Amino acid sequence: MTQGLFDAFYLPPDVERDADTSVQRFGPPHDAIELRLATVSPASIETWVEAIRSARAEHLARRPAAEIHRVLERVAQRFLDPQSPVRRNAIAWLAHSGRFSTPMIERALTDTFGPLSAGGVSRWVASEVGSATALDHPTPDRKGIPRQAFGPEWMLQIYAGNVPGLPVWPFYSALAMKSALFAKASSQEPVLAPLLARTIAEEDRGLGACIAVVWWKGGTIELDRAAVRRAPAVLAFGGENSTMSIARETHPEAKIVIHGSKVSVAYISRASLTRPGLGSLAARAAFDVALYDQQGCLSPHAFYVERGGDVGPAAFASALGGALETLRDGLPRREPEASQAARVQLYRAQAHFEEATGSRGTQVLASSEGTDWTLVYEDGARFEPTPAYRTVRVHAVDGVQEVEAALAPAARFIEAIGLEAKGRERVALAAALAAMGVPRIAPLGALQSPSLVGTHGGLHRLLPFLRWTTVETGPRSSAVRRPHRPKRKSGRSR
Amino acid sequence: MTAREIPGTDPTRKMEADLVRFISEAGWEEAHTRRAEAAFSDLAIRSFRIQCDTIPEYGAYARHVGRWSGRSGDWREIPPVPCSAFKEHGLSAARAGDGAAVRGEAPASPAVTFETSGTTITRPGRVQLKSTRLYETSLLKSFARHLLPDGARLKIIIFGPTRAESPHSSLWFMADRVAGRLCDAPIWIVEHGEPRWERADAELARSRDDRVPVLLLGTTLLLRAYVERCDRRGLRFALPPGSRAMDTGGAKGTRVELLRNDIAASFHSVLGIPPTHLVNEYGMAEMGSQFYEDTLLAAHERRPARAGFVIPPWVRTRVLDPETMLDLPEGRPGLLVHYDLANLDVPLAIQTEDVGAVAGNRLTLEGRLREAERRGCSLPFEQFLERERGARADPAPGMPR
Repeated sequence: MTQGLFDAFYLPPDVERDADTSVQRFGPPHDAIELRLATVSPASIETWVEAIRSARAEHLARRPAAEIHRVLERVAQRFLDPQSPVRRNAIAWLAHSGRFSTPMIERALTDTFGPLSAGGVSRWVASEVGSATALDHPTPDRKGIPRQAFGPEWMLQIYAGNVPGLPVWPFYSALAMKSALFAKASSQEPVLAPLLARTIAEEDRGLGACIAVVWWKGGTIELDRAAVRRAPAVLAFGGENSTMSIARETHPEAKIVIHGSKVSVAYISRASLTRPGLGSLAARAAFDVALYDQQGCLSPHAFYVERGGDVGPAAFASALGGALETLRDGLPRREPEASQAARVQLYRAQAHFEEATGSRGTQVLASSEGTDWTLVYEDGARFEPTPAYRTVRVHAVDGVQEVEAALAPAARFIEAIGLEAKGRERVALAAALAAMGVPRIAPLGALQSPSLVGTHGGLHRLLPFLRWTTVETGPRSSAVRRPHRPKRKSGRSR
Repeated sequence: MTAREIPGTDPTRKMEADLVRFISEAGWEEAHTRRAEAAFSDLAIRSFRIQCDTIPEYGAYARHVGRWSGRSGDWREIPPVPCSAFKEHGLSAARAGDGAAVRGEAPASPAVTFETSGTTITRPGRVQLKSTRLYETSLLKSFARHLLPDGARLKIIIFGPTRAESPHSSLWFMADRVAGRLCDAPIWIVEHGEPRWERADAELARSRDDRVPVLLLGTTLLLRAYVERCDRRGLRFALPPGSRAMDTGGAKGTRVELLRNDIAASFHSVLGIPPTHLVNEYGMAEMGSQFYEDTLLAAHERRPARAGFVIPPWVRTRVLDPETMLDLPEGRPGLLVHYDLANLDVPLAIQTEDVGAVAGNRLTLEGRLREAERRGCSLPFEQFLERERGARADPAPGMPR
């Protein structure tokens, strides 16, 4: 099924007929797949944007939002159903494009589409907008004031390819608020966005007409400019360099959300370090590290572990090492490219150097073969992101103040903190960590499964793009009766 | 009392003299004869033993990783130090106050201190040398062979700052020595951190008008910035035959993908320097030796150029499988570890994060510049460190090295 050529773009049928395409090889030379790509020019971008804008006017703008949401939920179901050709096709192509192992991809699809099926889109929209009908006509909000929400006419979305499934909620967010979508796929993961577009089009031709997914080389200024210049809304993921140039080119009135590079860390309180609980704790921690080979912004790079528990930080470190070893087979890693493995090796050598010469009690634990996992244990908190691919640091600490001080200079690079603590202690620790402005605090083992009704990068997913119309009913009758002046006892006597 | 403590028998000085002799006499084409190999191995092991003694942290590391038995007499057993270790450790025999007083010597103060650009995962570090004799011996021999094979003595235009303005850059130290020893009438284009393009315009116009060839030396980024500026302004210099350029590129940590052919083409059209006279250099502050392309040498010898950089006969580069850390067969790309006999005050064996392949005495680099489009919302350390570094003043839009 994955032999041959993959169409790594999606254009509505009417415009696809006129699009030029070319074939490019993708991936390492020994294991490349061939991608058919639409040839992108400033003029073609303009044509495609015009096409999705007029399709939106025809198919999306006046359609009941709930109906659109149900289509999206059915699409999610097709990506979840093990028997569905859509899911099998997606797994096969994602595996073939070579960034993640098959078990990891299956997991990613399940985790990504699960919350979007069976009423999930409606619940998500309701959590931000109040109710789906608020996207159709003025609908009383919680205070009874009728309000209507309008999504942008169209959105430009620019994806990163670090974790599989990344384009999914952005894709859904645009359509859920009745915006047409012009998406730039990632060269790292060019598969899922066009597959998703095609599946939506199969499920509902009208919706499919409002989507275009293409790829061009990031930093190609005239193309970036053509796409960004007139976009009323931009949602972009990626490194600072690429996103900054996008930000510079946007229309002054455009609504822009850019999710830049982040990492996550974890904090474990001494009360959570019990002998009976150690195995499960280490397993959950290892799972958060191993999932997506530590490529995501929700992947922890450091564990800050309090001293003085039933078991110490060093015992946690060796249990985590054991759990990472178990996941070598349980959740296999895709072998990194040579340059990435070279970085892991350099990081290991550096840690060995510190082990030999440093004063922080550094110890290195690592997989017996290869770069499968690396753990650097040391005394005291500091923040030093790792080269990923299952490379973590474990720091023995005395308390949360020490960690706050270490993280403070880097706090804006931290997306989430996995927190292991219970009861009142958890409340207090969460408050201390939240005070640093970290967007998300979550239990270990769930770090990589953020709730849709939560935020991403500290921002809601729909609200930043919505414009509202409020229908005021005029001054309340009581306000009319009471003129705006101090009350007097015999106020009305004149 | 050990040999080190007897004045006049300092093994380091004797070692340095032996290494200088070896580098000076080394034949470019016979690096891999059995005799040359044995001589290399002997010097490397002697040097390593001295380094374990004079660079205590390195000695501790070598003992810790414990791969050294010393019995096989194979230089491959010398443990390479990670290039990141320069960042916070005084990984040099030339550290100020380093035991010299104890030995009754005058306190050692380093002759030069170079700042490294850091790797993608570490902050910049420092390379301190007590003596630059080995560095200069290696530099001048390689440079003369690859940039001046015709024995020309040229006026040099340095696309960078003077050494006085950038005292901790190994690159501008190198330019300074080349200018002083092998060239004439040096001109520096960068002053107070700003490129003075008009100075380059004037010098190149003079070279063109007087028909006197020149040598341009600088970072790829800065030279390219100049060529692009000329292009935008419609400036063209048909420099006289024999003019040439050395660019060093790379700029670790920058996300610019520089396509070699494009650069060569623009040098040709704007400056009149043909691709045969454009020589790329590979070097790092942690290494005393540099590698050059043999484009100009090949043109001089009237043969086609060979791909890659020439590994000098006093350097060995191992290519390791980055997963297993075992040597790869010739031609297969992997992680690079250099063994450089020009390193005496700092460890001679350096583990890099560069990926490349070696065939014969040729090194081809991979991936060093390839990551123009990075992964998305993760990818922490590079950008984190780039931003941290952004606060540091950079003398020129090149790289500290």
